[in-house]
Parts: sequence; C-alpha cells; structure tokens
Amino acid sequence: MNDVLAAVLEAIAVLCYVALNAFVLIWLERKIAGHIQRRVGPLRVGGPGGALQSLADGIKLFSKEDFRPGGRDSLVWWLAPLVSMTPAVMVFIAIPFGQHLIVHDMNIGLIFIASISSFGLLGVFMAGWGSNNKYSLLGAMRAGAQLFSYEIPAILSTIGVVLAAGSLSLETIVAKQSAHWFLFPQILGFIVFYIAVLAETNRTPFDLAEAESELVAGYFTEYSGIRWAMFPFAEYGSLFTGCALATTLFLGGWHGPLFLPGWIWFLIKTYILVFIAMWIRWTLPRVRIDQLMDLGWKFLIPLSLVNILGTGAYIALVR
Amino acid sequence: MATTTPGLQSQLMTLNLGPQHPSTHGVLRVVVTLDGEEVVEAQPDIGYLHRNFEKIVEAWALPGVIPFSDRNDYLAAIANEVCVCDAIETLGQVELPDRARWLRVLFAELQRIISHELWYGAFGMDLGAFTPFLYGFRDRESGYLLMEKATGARMLYGFNRVGGLRNDVTDAWLKELEAYLDFLDKEAWPEYMKLLIDNEIFVLRTKGTGVLTQEQAIAWGASGPVLRSTGLSWDLRKKRPYLVYDQLDFAVPTGTHGDNYDRAMVRMLEIKESIKIIRQVMKRLPDGPVLGKARASVRLPTADYYARQESPRGEVGVYLVGNGRPNAYRLKWRAPTFSHLQLVPLLCRGVKVADMIANLGSLDVVMGEVDR
Amino acid sequence: MSLPRTVWNTIKSVVIGHSVTAREIATRPITVFYPEEKPEFPTGSRSVPVLKVNEESGYINCTSCGLCERTCPPGCIDIEQAVDPATNKKKPWPHSYTLDLSHCMVCNLCIEACPFDALEMLDVPELATYQVQDLKFNKEQLLDLWKTGKAIRIAEGQPMPSN
Repeated sequence: MNDVLAAVLEAIAVLCYVALNAFVLIWLERKIAGHIQRRVGPLRVGGPGGALQSLADGIKLFSKEDFRPGGRDSLVWWLAPLVSMTPAVMVFIAIPFGQHLIVHDMNIGLIFIASISSFGLLGVFMAGWGSNNKYSLLGAMRAGAQLFSYEIPAILSTIGVVLAAGSLSLETIVAKQSAHWFLFPQILGFIVFYIAVLAETNRTPFDLAEAESELVAGYFTEYSGIRWAMFPFAEYGSLFTGCALATTLFLGGWHGPLFLPGWIWFLIKTYILVFIAMWIRWTLPRVRIDQLMDLGWKFLIPLSLVNILGTGAYIALVR
Repeated sequence: MATTTPGLQSQLMTLNLGPQHPSTHGVLRVVVTLDGEEVVEAQPDIGYLHRNFEKIVEAWALPGVIPFSDRNDYLAAIANEVCVCDAIETLGQVELPDRARWLRVLFAELQRIISHELWYGAFGMDLGAFTPFLYGFRDRESGYLLMEKATGARMLYGFNRVGGLRNDVTDAWLKELEAYLDFLDKEAWPEYMKLLIDNEIFVLRTKGTGVLTQEQAIAWGASGPVLRSTGLSWDLRKKRPYLVYDQLDFAVPTGTHGDNYDRAMVRMLEIKESIKIIRQVMKRLPDGPVLGKARASVRLPTADYYARQESPRGEVGVYLVGNGRPNAYRLKWRAPTFSHLQLVPLLCRGVKVADMIANLGSLDVVMGEVDR
Repeated sequence: MSLPRTVWNTIKSVVIGHSVTAREIATRPITVFYPEEKPEFPTGSRSVPVLKVNEESGYINCTSCGLCERTCPPGCIDIEQAVDPATNKKKPWPHSYTLDLSHCMVCNLCIEACPFDALEMLDVPELATYQVQDLKFNKEQLLDLWKTGKAIRIAEGQPMPSN
C-alpha cells in the first residue's frame, strides 16, 4: 500500500514539475524571441514581464471548442497527443536533479531514457496519420525520418561517457564527474549529443516536421485547444530533458564550484543549455530534409563513432 | 513517377498549397503533385485577387488611374505610379518640371529599398528563419514612416500626378532620409548579410536550387533581378534610361548561375546601389515647382504608347491607347511577376517541397500585380 | 565544396549570426504600446476628405458645383443640391453631401479639383468602425470630423506643412 501511495505521489510531483517547467519554458521562449526581434514579448498577464501568460493561454486552450477534423482515424487521432506526451513526462523519472534527488535511480538509467524517449516518434506519427490531412502526413513522414535518424547519434554520442564512467546509472555517471566534468574529454560527444537533441525536439534549424512556411503546422495542423497544447507541452518537456541529460552526462550534473545546493547548479546548467537552444532557434534558417539526413548519417554518426573509438583507445592504453 | 518497390503500392499525392497558406505571399494557389517529399508538378492557379483593373480604368478619367495603379504592385506603389504617369505624360504631351523628375527617381529608389527589405524578411521566413522577417519589417517601417511624412500615406501613396507630384518635400525631410540611409548603409545592411545571407545553412539551401538559365529566363519573359541573376546585365534604367537615370552613376549587379542565391544577392546589392542613387539625387536636387500647369484634364490623342520602367521586381509596363477622350481607350498592364510566376512549374519540377517554397520566395511574387 | 570548408563556414557563420542576435537582445525594443501610447502620426497623413468651415462666414464653402463628385475615381462622393421649396430654384449650397469612406481611395483628387477651397484632408488616423455603413459620412458628420483634427489642403504642389 505504501509503495502504491509513494508511486502516486511521485507521479504527481513529476507531473507538477513538468507542467510548471513547460509553462516557464514557453514564457521564456516567447520573451527571448521577443527581445531578439526587438519586441517585448508577453507583458500584460501576471505582473512585470507577463510571467503568467502561459497560464492564461492554458486556461484559454482548455476552454476552446474541441474541434475534430472530418475523416479522421478517431482512435489514433485521439490517442496521439497522449502518446507523444507520456514519454516526455516519463523521462523525468530517471534524471538526477541532485544527489539522491531522483525519482528512481536505475542501474540502466541511460537505456531507460533512450528507449522511452523514442516513443515520442510514435505519437507524432499517429497524429500525422490520424488527422486525415496532407500537411500532417508530410510532417509525420518528415518527423519519422528525422527522429529515427537522430536517435542513433544521440545514443552513440553518450557511449563515450558510459565508457569513461563505467556505468549506465545516471547517478553514478554524475558522481564520477566530481573531479572534472566529461565535457572536455568528450567534447565531440557533447556537440553531437546537443545537435541531436535539437533535432529530436524539432527545433530550428531542424524543425522540418512542423515547418511553418512549408507545412502550415506539420503533424499537429488539425489539432486545437487542449489537444494541441499537449504537443508543445511534450516538446518543451523533451527539450528540458534533453538539456538535463546533456548536463548530467557532460556538464557534471549537480556538481558546482560554489556552495550552492546541487539541484540549483543542475538547473542553472540545464537552463543555460535551454537558453542556447532558444537562441539558436531564433537565429538560424531551416535545413532541407536531405541535408538533415546527410548531417545525421554522414557527419554526426561517424563523428560519434570516432569519439567512441578515441575514448575506448584512451581507456585501453592509459588505464 | 512514383517509385515502386515490389509488393508495395505507392501513389502520387495532390496537395493544394494555398490560397490560404503561410508562404504563398498573398492568395496564390499552387496545385502540387507530390511523390513523397518530391514535387512532380507544380501548377500555379491565379485570380484570387482579380480586381478588373484594366477594364475599370477605361471608364475613369486618367488622373484617377494613378492612385488605382498603386494597388497593382502594392509593395512598390511608386514604381507603378511613375510608369503610368510616364505613359500619360508622353502620350498627352504634358511637361514635367525638373524637380519632379529628380524626386520621382528618389522616391522610386526609396521604394526599391523598402520593397527589397520586405522581400528579405519574407524570404528568410520561407527558409524558416523568423528573426530576419522582423528585422526587415523594422527597417521597412521606418522607410514607410518617411514615405508617410513625404506623401501622406504609408503604402498606397497616390503621390504622382499627371505633370508632377502632389506635393513637395522639405529640407527637414531630406535630412531624415539621409539619416535613414546612413543607418541602412552602416547598420542594417551588414546585419542582414550577417544574419541570413552569409549564413552557411542559407548558402547550402539556396546555392544550386531553382536554377534558371539565361535562355530560359529570356524565353519566359523574365526581367528584373530574376533575369539579372542569370548574368545578363539588363536594366531598363541603363538600357532605356528614363527620368534622369542617364545622369546618375550606379552599377547593375548581376549573378552568374541564376539560382536562388544569386537572386538573393542581386537584390541585396541593389539596396546598396539604390542608396547610392538616392545620395546622388539629394546632392543634385534642383529647385523649382514640382507640379506643372496643364494638369486638370488631360486628353489623349488617338495614338498609343508603351511605357516601361524598372520596378523592384522587373519590367513594369503600361501600354496606353488614347482616342481623344479624357480616359484611356485601352490600358494594358505588364506585370513582371506575372511572367515570373509562369516559371514556377519549370523551376519546381523534381525539387523538394522545401525548395519549392524557396523558389516561390526568391521569385518575389506579388499577387496584386499578377491578378490585377 | 569540401567538407572541412563547409564545417568551418558553418561554425563561422553561425557564430557571426548569433553575435547579431545577441547584440539585438541587448538593445531596447522598438515596440509602441499602441492603445495606451500613441505613436507619432505625421502631420499631413491622409485619412478622409472633410468639409471645411469658413472662419469668416461660419458656413461651409461648398457651392455644390459637383466637381469633386465628377473627379472622384471610385465615385464615393454624392451631392444633392439644395432647392428653395418656395420658388423651386437651385441654391448654391448642398442639401446633402455624402462621402463613403469604405470606397474612398484617399487620393486627394477631390481636394485638388475643388475651386472653392471647400474640402480639406483630415489627418485623424483612427476612423475604424464595426459596421461598414458607419463609414458613410453625411454633411454634419464631415463637419464634425473637420473639428476633431488638423485638416490641410494641398493642391498646388506645395511642400507638406511640417515634417
């Protein structure tokens, strides 16, 4: 009984954090976009800086008409937002925010995250198929090719870290970085991982699946109201988890030079990575689908293989 | 044709791009036949913005045609006005004061800058970069404020009259214009280049895509930056000088490959050249009236005339036939982007969807002008 | 293009591009908070032709000659001449003067055509209404509009009043 209660409480805590985090990130993105473009961004809701804008938007989206496209594949269409949101939330379970500040430390944490986050693709694909819209279908096809291709460099680039730490448990990996971060021995891996995270979260320059100027809104063209809101929710959730994972694997997790609590260090590093992702989004143009594939298969995967080889050779020769 | 794997059926998909779509620049509809991500056939469908311009103006007295012609290429209204004024003045033998001649050049070039700024933003948007759009619009807005201060309207000026201009400009306005040009030259233009045009992703996206050969460009009646990007230095301001362009010193930027990148570069360099032209005009602007005497009602002789000028998009032409009445017997409008839109099936056959959008953007189509 | 050069160009141009956006993030936004804070509307911008009240006589200058009605390209001006009911003779002022702003191009041609200095161009930009019929202004409304803003008459190619 106690186990069930604990699991429920954990789930509620994670959900609350994910929701809060998505609200903050959406607000942050709009603020950053505004200031980069010499605008001010949200301003009027919730005191200075419009901090509660996302909440107001959420209320609005909840109260909107539940529009359903004609000719949809009902079950698939209805399930798609849930399927794409669930993995984004589940990944939070395995991320160590601080020492012992983790929902569940698994000895296969990295594999858990890699396998769960691949599920996001399924939701995107279902949305594209179930909507009975050609733009959605094109977006889903693009997303399928893109997310599938970038899973591989993302996972390969983390193997260098696993080799260096000798563990798949994320807590152990962070603990191993107490002396020095894995960023510099693993700089290649970090770059590949970060680019792959950008691609997996569908962010410019890799936002082909929802390319506004080409596909209107890509796979979620036909969604509105709260169903639509689940997609950005999942997207910002996975952006955060991607950056959190980069922090865990390469930037020393909760370790920091000053006497601040570990989780503050963790969040600072993660939000810096998130900020850079947003900065990139509002600066660069979009790549084309074949260039995207070229970058993934012909550049990032070889690069991460080189990284694994170098790390392995170093470990074999030096130790 | 759709590629078939044994045991797997596949079929072509028809996609209606537009008329309500983020990147069709107005109300253009393109019927695209797709084989997966690849365009098999792209057929533009026009007419959603048809206003019956050519027939309506046959019933209107000629001075009224000028403000109506603004609505054709609404992003470069001055170019339309100047061209239709040229036709009326030449045919009706109306004297144009010297200052009006120079001011028309000034406004036409300022309009060219504003139009290319908008194109820069829209093209960035087509390629998925949102920020250049707002930078382009920011500077376009200051340009429009200048225009409003000078002409009284932001976009559709109604500024030219038969035999001159509606009103004069002041020295204070010319000073503001000077400041705007300085800002554009020193800050905005380098920023445009750094943010988008020099970006490697942009270069990879645009180089070698949407290639148009010189023969094709001539055969399809292309003009303006689209023609010049193929390497042909054809600019009506040089080849058929009108107003005072023969007294001005400027270069005609050309490309070499005729691809999207060259079209973009030609337009960016034209901004520079227009700044140069405006500076020269401001230095040499003569004093005097801007509006001649005989202007109240102009009657055209029974004759015809084809006036053509270099608008930001290419050769805009007015074929005007008179028959002794105060209105035109026939007025044919030659829209440069009408010819450019015909290139869409040619340029988009066999390219990716993303490149089709880029091709559409680099042709800089204005539907108000195409549909008339 | 060779791969190392592409990689180098990409890194260089991405860094340069980000330096541009970083500089812009630090500069002040150019947003004008429109309904609360009015932007500067330039004097002499054209919004609607209005009937002018003669300062000396206190009446409008319009003699109902119909020149503006004939000049107006889209035909949005409609004048009805006043008639003396007793003698059935026409009087030199308008019984009604209607201007349909929803058709008007704001081209200034009516003002240039008017030989009696009866029309002026208003510079009040906020004339939006919810109903298109509300944009049909009659004589009294045009006179009221004239009082709300600064109206000018440019017909001889003179410079704009102040800019």
